[in-house]
Amino acid sequence: MKSKRLLAGPYLFWSVSFVIIPLLVIVYYAFTSDGGTFTLANLSQITTPENLKALGISLLLSFISTLVCLILAYPLAMILSQKQVNQTSFIVLIFILPMWMNFLLRTMAWQTLLEKNGVINSILGFLHLPALEIINTPYAIILGMVYNFLPFMVLPIYNVLIKIDPNVLNAARDLGANPVQTFLKVTFPLSIPGVISGITMVFVPALTTFVISDLLGGGKILLIGNVIEQSFKQNSNWHVGSGLSLVLMIFIIASMALVAKYDKGEGGTAF
Amino acid sequence: MIRKFLQKLYLALIFIILYAPIVTLMVLSFNQSKTRAKWGGFTLKWYKELFQNEQIMSAFYTTLIISFVAAAAATLIGTAAAIAIQGMKQRWRTFYMGVTNIPMMNAEIVMGVSLMLLFIAFRMKMGFGTILIAHITFNIPYVILSVAPKLKQTNRHVYEAALDLGASPLEAFFKVVFPDIVPGVMSGFMLAFTMSLDDFVITHFTKGPGIDTLSTKIYTEVRKGIKPEIYALSTIMFVTVLVLLILINYSPEEKEDTKTKKKRAKKPSKVKKILLRRVIPVTICVLFLFGGFYYSRESNVMNSDKVVVYNWGEYLDPEVLTMFEEETGIDVVYEEFETNEILYPKISSGAIAYDVICPSDYMIQRMIKNDLLAEINFDNIPNIKNIGKDYMEQSRQFDPENKYSVPYCWGTVGILYNKTMVKEPVTSWSILWDEKYKDNILMQDSVRDAFGVTLKYLGYSLNSTDLDELTEARDLLIEQKPLVQAYVIDQVRDKMIGNEAAIGVIYSGEAIYTQMENPDLEYVIPEEGSNIWIDSWVIPKNAENKENGEKFINFLCRPDIALKNFEYITYSTPNVEARKLIEDDAVRNSKIAFPDLSQYENLETFQYMGTEADQTYGELWNQVKSH
Repeated sequence: MKSKRLLAGPYLFWSVSFVIIPLLVIVYYAFTSDGGTFTLANLSQITTPENLKALGISLLLSFISTLVCLILAYPLAMILSQKQVNQTSFIVLIFILPMWMNFLLRTMAWQTLLEKNGVINSILGFLHLPALEIINTPYAIILGMVYNFLPFMVLPIYNVLIKIDPNVLNAARDLGANPVQTFLKVTFPLSIPGVISGITMVFVPALTTFVISDLLGGGKILLIGNVIEQSFKQNSNWHVGSGLSLVLMIFIIASMALVAKYDKGEGGTAF
Repeated sequence: MIRKFLQKLYLALIFIILYAPIVTLMVLSFNQSKTRAKWGGFTLKWYKELFQNEQIMSAFYTTLIISFVAAAAATLIGTAAAIAIQGMKQRWRTFYMGVTNIPMMNAEIVMGVSLMLLFIAFRMKMGFGTILIAHITFNIPYVILSVAPKLKQTNRHVYEAALDLGASPLEAFFKVVFPDIVPGVMSGFMLAFTMSLDDFVITHFTKGPGIDTLSTKIYTEVRKGIKPEIYALSTIMFVTVLVLLILINYSPEEKEDTKTKKKRAKKPSKVKKILLRRVIPVTICVLFLFGGFYYSRESNVMNSDKVVVYNWGEYLDPEVLTMFEEETGIDVVYEEFETNEILYPKISSGAIAYDVICPSDYMIQRMIKNDLLAEINFDNIPNIKNIGKDYMEQSRQFDPENKYSVPYCWGTVGILYNKTMVKEPVTSWSILWDEKYKDNILMQDSVRDAFGVTLKYLGYSLNSTDLDELTEARDLLIEQKPLVQAYVIDQVRDKMIGNEAAIGVIYSGEAIYTQMENPDLEYVIPEEGSNIWIDSWVIPKNAENKENGEKFINFLCRPDIALKNFEYITYSTPNVEARKLIEDDAVRNSKIAFPDLSQYENLETFQYMGTEADQTYGELWNQVKSH
């Protein structure tokens, strides 16, 4: 038994070196000034009107995208789970396959699709329909988020749904539940772990992205991710950047703790 | 029936949304025109040029190698950990799973930043190694999470039975447990590989000079317009994977089943199946990987003789680099940056020793002031004679004794407008505040340019440090924001070519190219005056190959080379001899490329104004951007 535990050694070493210590470095930077003295000034940067606004918009946009993803993904996962094909891996791969086209390129491609004279508007114009003008607006950012993160919502829900024993559903039906009741009382509660894990996997990247807002927002909308990226890469103010990262981390942990309260069962992993 | 139909429809819709951008990219890879804004006819030339483009190919193979090694290492560490965790007591298991969840839950940006700070704190050289470490770190959890469920399904008793029957623990593991968890290990590996391949954010923060993965390469190109070769490469990658997947999943299993009744059909079908499902995919993968190792060995066998160049994106004809390497035997390590503001901290921190860099006027002034530049030994640059006297004189504004810099490109900032959308004559910056053009204005996304334009419009100097003047400019910029379609840097080019906007603030060098692509466009320098700028080659103080740097600069000053560059990037060259060589009269005498400077009185060069003013500008700009 002892020797078996040793197998975790490399992992423990790796995690401590490259996950835990780096986080402590962030904490150190967040609480110190340029001269190395203790300060709270970096953390309080979040309360400047600009940064508060960026955080607010980030929260709003990521909340909406998560919701949209959930609404789109749940029926999708249900339809897929009812397909009695023994090709789970294939379905999963259909969603992972797009990742082989680079994420930046895929997002860029939406520019080409959404622009005023872009592909979609040319088609709409051809059909004499009103043009779609969402490029460089928050709507385009939401679209970008939903597009990029939808697979992370579909897969965990799908994985939970296919594990539900059909006999449970049959039992519910035999006991007189109509389809809506079956769904509300049986299917949905059983799928909650998947939903929770999906929400996590969409909400976190959406909250912290800076690329999608860069590419589809026309530089008019600053998200908290943009502010952090700029403070490291452009203003090279690592202390403020670390302070903001720490605040962001606290936000994520808090919201995940909130979500996890409702998560009782295990499972519901994406892959 | 209707329900079935609706389901199918819904699936199809989602499918279209998922794959529409991918189809778009594939189509663009066959586009004759270099800009994505215009369809110029069908061509296969980008596929041919792809294999000659050393930068893209090396980025591609770096990506493959990093993804493969990272995924393999993560699979090893992760699988071992998963097995160990499985045998642990509940308390420890919770602890380990908690640790595993940190990278999954944590924001990518926070993780990237934290690793960057760690590497810097321990003075690790940013490069291949640091990217690899970062990738392994975020890959391990995917492996653990794929393997753990499979382990849970294995039957402990079988393992114990094997032990009872005299197998050693190792034997028992490999003969009994391992076969059961192979699917989990494989999918963990594949997942890790895919995640590595697609990662941008973490690589962005942990990479060093001279190394690019596809993602970071694309990110630097986004602002300049993506090179079509990249579309071609992505298409090849995507199609390869698609073919692999189809082979693996749609082997002729079912069809062959019916044939098995015939006597002889069984054996060949099995061979065929193995061939299709295993041999071909594995061969393709191996080919790709070996290609990668071979290629990277080829390009990594560096002579000790090299020169590290840090230049603006798309600011040099790649062929020039090859020519330089061939003629001198010196290897060029070539990196690109997007703005002066990104360049500066890299030079001032001294973390990376560049040999030649190409900042703009005010940034050179700042670097001289902070003692970051080395004096150039002009004995090594005889070709300096080809640079026009006027430009050397102009350079004195930021390099008073002409000791540190060699002019490379110059130009003005002005308004590019579309004659079909703007009927009135454009003479003033005021058009950028005209309600008529709401949502049709493209503004520069950089502090100095945005404020420069506004200050000029207000009649002030674009080097103003007067807080009242700056606040006035800020308010004007905020007032303008609702009219602005987008804040962009070099995408102005593509957007104007594609008739996306009526008016854009643009550098004169881009104007020439856009006019070639779209004759409806016209460039003016507004009467209130504007910015005249020079980008020059300088050598940082910590350069390790200063002489090679000087050779490189000298090479670029050769008329034929300067001409080649001019034709590629279309930015005005200060090289008088090169200008004489331009064949096209219209270009040689172009008012845009080579305006008669005596006509304009109020053109100003940016000056460096000190840290305090920089911060003020930065804060005011942030207020505009986040308004």
